[in-house]
Amino acid sequence: MTELYDVIVIGAGHNGLVNAAYLARAGLKVLVLERREIVGGATVTEEVFPGFKYSVFSYVVSILRPEIIQDLQLPRHGLIMLPLPSTLTPLPNGDYLYRDDDHYRTLREIARHSVRDVEAYEGYGHAMYFMAKAIKPILRMVPPDPNSLDPRELKRLADLGSLFRGMGDGNLHTLIKLMTMSSADFLDEWFETESLKATMSASGIIGTFMGPRSPGTAYVLLHHYMGEIDGVFRAWGFAKGGTGGLAEAIASSARSFGAEIWTDSPVEAVIVGGDKATGVALHDGTELRARKVVSSLDPRRTFLDLVSPDLLPADLVADVGRFRFRGSSGKVNLALDAAPEFTCWPGEGAHLRGAISISPSIDYLERAYDQAKYGEFSHRPFIDIVIPSMIDPDMAPPGKHVMSCFVQYAPYELAKGDWDARREEFGDAVIDTLSEYVPNLKDILLHRQVLTPLDIERTTGLSEGNIFQGELDLSQLFFLRPAAGYAKYRTPIRGYYQCGSGTHPGGGITGAPGRLAALEILKDLGL
Amino acid sequence: MRSDYEVVVIGGGHNGLVTAAYLAGAGQSVLVIEAREVLGGAAATEETFPGYRIDTGASHAGLFRDEIIRELGLQGHGLEIIDSPMSALSLTEGDVLRLWRDPAAARKEIERYSSADAARYEDFLAWVEDQASIILAAQDRAPPDLGSDGLLRYLPGLAPWSRLALRLRRMGRKAVSEFLRTIPISVEQLLDEWFENPVLKGVLAASGVEGTMQGPKASGTGLMLLYHAANGYPPPIRYVRGGTGALSAALADAATKRGAEIQTGLRVEKVLISDYRTNGVALSNGHQIRCGAIASCADPRHTLLDLVGPPNLELRVMRRVRNIRFRGSTAKVNLALDRIPEFNGVRDVSELTGRILISPSTDYLERAYDDAKYRTWSRAPHLDMSIPTILDATRAPEGKHVLSATVRYAPYHLEESDWGSEREAFGDHVVAAIAQYAPDLPKLILHRQVLTPLDYQREYGLPEGSIYHGQMALDQLLSMRPIPGYGRYRSPVEGLYFCGAGAHPGGGLTGAPGRNAARVIEKDLRRR
Repeated sequence: MTELYDVIVIGAGHNGLVNAAYLARAGLKVLVLERREIVGGATVTEEVFPGFKYSVFSYVVSILRPEIIQDLQLPRHGLIMLPLPSTLTPLPNGDYLYRDDDHYRTLREIARHSVRDVEAYEGYGHAMYFMAKAIKPILRMVPPDPNSLDPRELKRLADLGSLFRGMGDGNLHTLIKLMTMSSADFLDEWFETESLKATMSASGIIGTFMGPRSPGTAYVLLHHYMGEIDGVFRAWGFAKGGTGGLAEAIASSARSFGAEIWTDSPVEAVIVGGDKATGVALHDGTELRARKVVSSLDPRRTFLDLVSPDLLPADLVADVGRFRFRGSSGKVNLALDAAPEFTCWPGEGAHLRGAISISPSIDYLERAYDQAKYGEFSHRPFIDIVIPSMIDPDMAPPGKHVMSCFVQYAPYELAKGDWDARREEFGDAVIDTLSEYVPNLKDILLHRQVLTPLDIERTTGLSEGNIFQGELDLSQLFFLRPAAGYAKYRTPIRGYYQCGSGTHPGGGITGAPGRLAALEILKDLGL
Repeated sequence: MRSDYEVVVIGGGHNGLVTAAYLAGAGQSVLVIEAREVLGGAAATEETFPGYRIDTGASHAGLFRDEIIRELGLQGHGLEIIDSPMSALSLTEGDVLRLWRDPAAARKEIERYSSADAARYEDFLAWVEDQASIILAAQDRAPPDLGSDGLLRYLPGLAPWSRLALRLRRMGRKAVSEFLRTIPISVEQLLDEWFENPVLKGVLAASGVEGTMQGPKASGTGLMLLYHAANGYPPPIRYVRGGTGALSAALADAATKRGAEIQTGLRVEKVLISDYRTNGVALSNGHQIRCGAIASCADPRHTLLDLVGPPNLELRVMRRVRNIRFRGSTAKVNLALDRIPEFNGVRDVSELTGRILISPSTDYLERAYDDAKYRTWSRAPHLDMSIPTILDATRAPEGKHVLSATVRYAPYHLEESDWGSEREAFGDHVVAAIAQYAPDLPKLILHRQVLTPLDYQREYGLPEGSIYHGQMALDQLLSMRPIPGYGRYRSPVEGLYFCGAGAHPGGGLTGAPGRNAARVIEKDLRRR
């Protein structure tokens, strides 16, 4: 008989690691099992080409909860955050829009495009700051169950109600708008400059299978804005050594509290005895026993793959069956011989140290979406670019650069052909699009790695390549994430928990689901 | 017409007439002022061509609230409803799908397309009815005040809603979350969760995009499907004998018999305000009418920005009014025909008595919307047609017929063009679209009328051609309709009320906003 763990966490993505670290910190004997040879899940750094290191999947850190950084003492474990201070939007006419952490320079730059928008920009900033602050408590909250008549649940619903009422009616209406409107409509109420609206709305569509004119995208705008409230303007940043550096730091913290982390250990199934999870079976047949099992995988894998659906209530199986993944993004990682030369801003300026967004207009983004909704990748996609080697020289050989391109839209299901046959065609579309803004790109291109939604699914296990473990739309948030009645990190199987981005508050490198799940588990253990 | 009334109703649209009839019935002196010579607003029937009674706005009255018919005794005022056995006939290439009102008949028809879908159809009807009953209950009352400062002010408005919440809970263990989940989903997703056949999903999706500038993939369109299920599902087709305008005529009769006066051909130019409250209106003939309350069934933007005017409004209110999204999406082509056209695949004329839809799949609808998104009319339009003369011979000369085609999507703003110069080309385009399924149509056309979003704005006062007085988007419903903070029919100006489609619960020929508003106005007048 193998030894008995208090908790086994399935998957060493950042949420699994955060979950394990919190549980180990409380004195539990914790084992994390990771299928791949490295930890991190979609938060990994890999040397894809000799000398060139990439944050292969997720590439910026912004919404990691500050309490997690503190509780887990991540800086002590090697987390160093590097700033990502600016956003450049190159425009087809040779002009650009540039915003950075120098607030007044940003205002002057916006004034170049529209004086009216300068005033709106300030007002907008204040409004979003307030909104983000007001709903922050919700991100720290275990979702209540609106179906329950339990007085404790009703009290929590009432508390939620008073949180909303406390905002004042004006702000509450703004919140409802944010929750339901399209990012294009929402931004139209404030701004007139196309490139400004497009670049801002771009953060509302990242990771979703919706266009900037789709109702519901304004919410993702706010979701991404959360990162900004604990720091200054666009507190987005890189982890030194890539996002894998963050995963390593969390893993190191977990180990320091006594957790074990096994890589190359794919879990085949959760072992259920009676109505209780008693351990896991590995792919190689090894069985490990634990008092609690936590899955950081997405809801489809957690409920339909790891356990037999027969053990679950029919309503949950049905809800997970209709939970929407619909991956919409790909990633193209480039190795460059030299710094890219933008037509709109030649030379190696500050602009290369920030984000570069190919989002010249709302219509451009919307047309990119139009193609995808009928099953074709965007031939002129939205691209969010960072060049980490500009800030972190360890990422590439001297003088050379790594360029990470987040590309949308790339539907998981193609109407014509399949991804294995069309991968390079997709890569070409990205290079061709970029070349319109960076004419020397093809000359300096050494290598490229093209990751389609199918590749993301195969490598990270994210169903349909959805980077959020399920779409962040209103019908899949809060007490509906992943399913009504099962949003409190527990499952119908005793001792079996969920802690991935498929639970509240959702995707992005937040660590919040991992932490909230850990706190619930500790509560169940009476700790 | 006197110079003093208790209530002036601006606009003789169906909602204005409903408000007038209820208030007159409660003993108030009421004057209705309608700018056009024809009553009914977008529920009007006009003799556009000699001998033909054409519905220039709504083609049927399937959503009209039964309790209004009952409470106002409209049948005694000349209203005659004609029910069709058909809900919708979907035209597709080489075949049709007949969505009969009778579930068994519809199921048999769906069986030809998918037996799995046929097996789920009646469960779907039951599910829709459950969900729609919640919406229906919500339509009968003023929406709750959100975020009011004091709990005491908050509770009374909430009380009827908590009864609704309890009723919801009784519907099942997960009814609350199921309903909450349904609100934001798209009609495409909703249908994907039930059915597999694209033709069936196409015909069912049509009511989700009715009146809106959204495609079936847009969040909130699922809710619109439920909105249109208020009087049953699949949506019943109810014609009014003599044309939809006969409903307005019955309402007008009900109002005048209760003592209200109705003045057509006169325009309200200004709402008169003194000491921050309304005390009358100024008319286009130079006269002024004094009154204690004004109910406007004109759209909220016209009501507040034109009739009240900026100096009397807070900046915040102005901004909110300007931000209302109208986005007309609808045009109409009315054809006088020599006989009933022969539609491919149709075996019997009774099949043509409901909606006749060109809506072969949700992708087709979405593509039609795509064009409108970039400010052109749909190259392959979504058509919602009816031939009312089959069941009502009074509307056309003997043997002749009328085909009314509601066309989506026709955006108000056209890229590098305008509706004045596009009208006839657009009309040709629509006729050609119908002719694909009814090849003999073009040679049957005796007269043609094309109503563009611009016409609807100019002639019928529908802002940007929005037939619902503002898009029924999730942020423009309930307490947020017409603008946040003024969802309970009382406008920002004391004594001025909204009673049109721009107010809760919204658009369509329902009468619900007019009825709810009347109740609020009456209560306020009694309190004074």
